[in-house]
Amino acid sequence: MFRWGTAGVVFVRQFSVLSSREGCPAIGSYTFQRRKNGDYAVTEKRYYSTKLAHNQKPDWNKAVSEAEKIVGYPTSFLSLRWLLSDEIANVALHLRKLVGSNHPLLKTAKSLLYNGRNNMQAWGLIVLLISKAAGHNNVQEMEEDKAAGVLHSQRALAEVTEMIRTSHLVHKGLVNIYPGMYAEQVELNDLTFGNKIALLSGDYLLANSCVELASLQNQDLVELMSSAVRDLSEGEFLGRRDQQNNPLPSPDEVKDAKGDWTRRNVLSAGSLLGKSCQGTLKLAGHSRELQEQGYLFGKHLALAWQACLDLEPFRTSSQYTPGSAFNLTSAPVLFHLQHDHSLFEEIEKGIDSVENVDYEKIHSTVMDGPGFELTKNLQKEHSQQAMEVLSVFQESDAQTALRNIIVAMGDL
Amino acid sequence: MACIGSGRLCARVEKLCLLGQVTQIRRKTNYARLKQFTTQPSARTFVQSCQYGSMRTQAPGPQPQVAMDPYLLLANDLKDIYTDIRRELELNTSQPELSRIATYYFDGQGKALRPMVTVLMSRAVNCHQLPGKSLLLPSQREVAMISEMIHTASLLHDDVIDQADFRRGKPSVNALWSQKKVAMAGDFILAVASMMIARLHNDSVTKILSQVLQDLVQGEFMQLGSKETENERFAHYLTKTYRKTASLIANSVKATAVLAGADEPLSELCFQYGRNVGLAFQLVDDLLDFVSSTAAMGKPAAADLRLGLATAPVLFACEKYPELNPMIMRRFQEPGDVEHAFELVHRSRGLEQTQFLARQHVAEASRLASSLAESPYQKALQVVGDFVINRMK
Repeated sequence: MFRWGTAGVVFVRQFSVLSSREGCPAIGSYTFQRRKNGDYAVTEKRYYSTKLAHNQKPDWNKAVSEAEKIVGYPTSFLSLRWLLSDEIANVALHLRKLVGSNHPLLKTAKSLLYNGRNNMQAWGLIVLLISKAAGHNNVQEMEEDKAAGVLHSQRALAEVTEMIRTSHLVHKGLVNIYPGMYAEQVELNDLTFGNKIALLSGDYLLANSCVELASLQNQDLVELMSSAVRDLSEGEFLGRRDQQNNPLPSPDEVKDAKGDWTRRNVLSAGSLLGKSCQGTLKLAGHSRELQEQGYLFGKHLALAWQACLDLEPFRTSSQYTPGSAFNLTSAPVLFHLQHDHSLFEEIEKGIDSVENVDYEKIHSTVMDGPGFELTKNLQKEHSQQAMEVLSVFQESDAQTALRNIIVAMGDL
Repeated sequence: MACIGSGRLCARVEKLCLLGQVTQIRRKTNYARLKQFTTQPSARTFVQSCQYGSMRTQAPGPQPQVAMDPYLLLANDLKDIYTDIRRELELNTSQPELSRIATYYFDGQGKALRPMVTVLMSRAVNCHQLPGKSLLLPSQREVAMISEMIHTASLLHDDVIDQADFRRGKPSVNALWSQKKVAMAGDFILAVASMMIARLHNDSVTKILSQVLQDLVQGEFMQLGSKETENERFAHYLTKTYRKTASLIANSVKATAVLAGADEPLSELCFQYGRNVGLAFQLVDDLLDFVSSTAAMGKPAAADLRLGLATAPVLFACEKYPELNPMIMRRFQEPGDVEHAFELVHRSRGLEQTQFLARQHVAEASRLASSLAESPYQKALQVVGDFVINRMK
């Protein structure tokens, strides 16, 4: 059965609110303290940022919470149902055993809990908003969630989107174990056990998303969403990888930096959001043409979002700690490498482990080059393309909310 | 196909010789096995299916023996199954490495039990629906492929966790590729299988087959922890066995029956057939873990015990040797537990009882199959159980 003490750890993910831009404290964040009996007490801390009020631009956080009001409930509750199960309570129980080991599953769990805007937790929200913005055709009254203005099936699809994404993140968080990597047997056991839990949790989400999809009784949708799962897994095989499967750029591929970046991120992000948006329009009975537009919207939004994330370490306002790691296949780095091959000398040091490169050096080199500006353009390009798709819909709250999210994301 | 058939026999004889080396305690059980192996396989299966009382009349046709071997009977249906699966997977990725990992186990070396039972049931049900029309529907063949793909995806994920270096006589995927890539390849196979399911455009079939995925995961979770009391333990074990093994077979044959246009009682009958065959299959698997895992086979004895799992032989042995209970509770973690438990299982009647239970499920499966319209496929369904019981690997 579901218990706070055990399942709380995972459960809290649902309450975490996206932290606001510019690194100001999250509006509502939750912490837990371990009680003597081993249970977790969940306490809510509220900070109200003064920045928020003075901010002229649509704030990210505000845009999201406004948007959540439009679809009727906090989307972070979307996947609540799959958490109310023996299996997840079981996982939470096992996660506690892992505390103290350094299995990345803990990090994954934590990032799902606290998440900055580094996790696109709002994907379900986007799916619901586009559903609402597009409206629906010829559907029976019974099938509509009146309060939210979306169909029950669309809500289920939004849930499936989040489950697929989470499952993928969790599977990505496995550790590659090599012979002789760990001298201590205890450490090895911990990591093996962590892998087991991570694998099972991801499988659990994947299996549940299949069951949920099957219940929608739309086989085209099942095929579409399954192909998104396929794309996510294929994305993990692109290009050079270090021992932990972290991606590395290669001289051949960066000849076309933009193409390389796009291939990677369409598979790992654009496909899922694009196909989810396409799928929700399919459920609402829209034309094939409009479904295609839905796909483009989701894809471009995801790519704009990714470009925005890639920019984060390079922003002057960011809280980037010099020397800390960032993605070596992020857009600014790839763009820089295209025009300046000499940086590969540093990149090559990461061939075994990306941890071995001098991030401070790469950071400052990229900062001096065109990478940052080119990435900003890339983000703008995708934002605009997403905006263009939005204009095919009639004016509505949901449409405005989506615009606000796009504006808040970038500095259009 | 004939050479595969004889190869199968050779493998059995080979293992039979190995069996001669096992300890005295096991001799009684093995004797029963030896007796079976001395007869010709086709004759043996024929005799046994008569024993189940399901076959009152002789099989029609000049060569009933040939019709009795399901693998021979389905040689044509099964011969390209692996090639087609590989092609389907290769079509879905442009990444050579992903393609290699995903197709690695589809090398035709597996038993293909799931496709075999699925195709057999398809043809038997088709005959049942329209006498004389046993033609295999393309969609039913797809289900056979899907069942093997789901099974293999779960093998890949098992390999990520288990540290075994070999599977089916070749290096296991985890020995060749990293955990993350293997996990992703498993997801990939599952995704491609889901796409194939969707393309069948049948709502119930999609539901039936997605239930399998949920069962598989829930079975794994059940295996993680067991705090149940001694009374609940066997029920827990059987439920776990159903979810981890039988559900896939049961639901695949059910799906294939639905595609043949079977009504609810008929598809339920098919489901029960698959469930019984699946349970028997796993029971025998658990039994073999104690019997055929000799040092000579190069596989660690009692692999399940080492993983902390109490399977049917141990649970049966508990009745006579209650000292096994605390060992089960601590998942055979203390030094000497595995050896001690292994010894007690062999001293008890646990292995016989497990085999008896497996035979009961096989008999039930055979009984269910006998209520289908008579056809070579229906007869072969009754024989599948013997393959399951008498298999050595």
